[in-house]
This record gives sequence, C-alpha cells and structure tokens, in this order.
Amino acid sequence: MSNEVMNKEKWVLLFREIGLDEATMKRWHREFENRYPDGHQSFLEWLNIPHQEIVKIRAL
Amino acid sequence: MLTIGQVARKYSISRSTLIYYDRIGVLSPSGRSDSNYRLYSERDLKTMDRIMLFRSAGLSLDAIASLLDIEGGDLNSAFEHRLSSINNEIQGLRNQQKVILKLLENESSALNSRVLTKDTWVSILKGAGLDEAGMKNWHIEFEKTSPEAHQDFLESIGIEQGEIESIRQWSRQV
Repeated sequence: MSNEVMNKEKWVLLFREIGLDEATMKRWHREFENRYPDGHQSFLEWLNIPHQEIVKIRAL
Repeated sequence: MLTIGQVARKYSISRSTLIYYDRIGVLSPSGRSDSNYRLYSERDLKTMDRIMLFRSAGLSLDAIASLLDIEGGDLNSAFEHRLSSINNEIQGLRNQQKVILKLLENESSALNSRVLTKDTWVSILKGAGLDEAGMKNWHIEFEKTSPEAHQDFLESIGIEQGEIESIRQWSRQV
C-alpha cells in the first residue's frame, strides 16, 4: 500500500463527484451489508473508520 | 526346542503375547521343560510363521485361531472377508476425508469472503444504482483525486497489473 491514504472523507467526496447523493450512499451500504457483510466490514476498516462508527454504518 | 524367550526374540514379539496365545489356544507349545517352562517345537514355529503372516494381513486372533486348522480353499474366504472389511475401512476414511476437506473449504471461503473481488465491487456499485457510465466516472474521479489510492484499491481487489494500467490510462485520458 502506498503512503497515500484513502479515508472516509475522500471516499464520500468521490461518490458525490459522480453524482451519488446521501440516499444512494445509504442504499449502497445496505446493499453491501446484505450481500457481503464481511466484505463491508473489511472495506470500512480499510477506510480507517473507527470501530464504533463501523457498527453504526453497518446497522443503517 | 526353543524357550519362550527365544521364540519372542525370533519374532520380535513379547513373551506376554506368546503366553496370551497359549491361554486363548491359538498356539500352545508342545513341550515343557523339567522346571515346567514352555518349549516350542519346529512344528510350533511353523504354526507361529502362519500366525505372523495372518497378523500382518490384519486378521483378528479369532479368525487366525479358526484358520490354523484349515488348509487351502477356506483361506481364500477368510482373506476375502478381510479384504471387504479393509474396503469398508477405506470407504470410512474417504468419508472422513471428504468431511474434513469440506470443513477446510468452508473455512477458507469464509476467509475469502472478507476479500472483495472485482465482481463483488461491480455488483454492489450496480446495486447502488451506478451504471457503466457511473462506474467510469468513478474511476476518472478516483484517478484524479487519489491516483495512488486508486492503484492500491485496484490491486486490493485482485485485478491484474495490465488491466490496472489500462483502467488508469483511460481514466486519465478523459
């Protein structure tokens, strides 16, 4: 992995740039959680999101 | 005539095994010394040879005992019986092997499911309503805002270096 860190803010920005709104992002998390719960967890960890917040996002 | 110790050494078995064979009637030595020690004759040793042969074929002592009196043909049926029980044991082991492989497989696929693949990503992005054009835009933005993270990301979902280069190339060109 390079030094360039991907984080939640950058990721959200990326999604906004391509036109995803809050509702769509929520739907995306739900989809992610439904179909690949472990992958969702790994992805959120990869974004360095704190554990507590990961729990909240996965419960969306 | 050989003593029990000599016979034990000759066949690399313990004296207690020979005493046990005597007790259950598989092989009773034909002689006794003046002090009442067991003595084995040539004939006893011939019987012992057969016992060892049957043992190495995996026959039970019961089966051996009943075979020792018999010559020829009936041996075949005893060995056929043993063969079918070996086959059953093999089948049992195969079944165990299958179960274990299955367990290992589940274990590793549970691990793998933590790793996201390209197909996984495409399907969840589609699920969020992103079409082909939307995904293209996503790569373009990714490349523009965080080129190195874009590279890392594509590597992390297992895309080949060649394909990564072409994705990043068209992402930059637009």
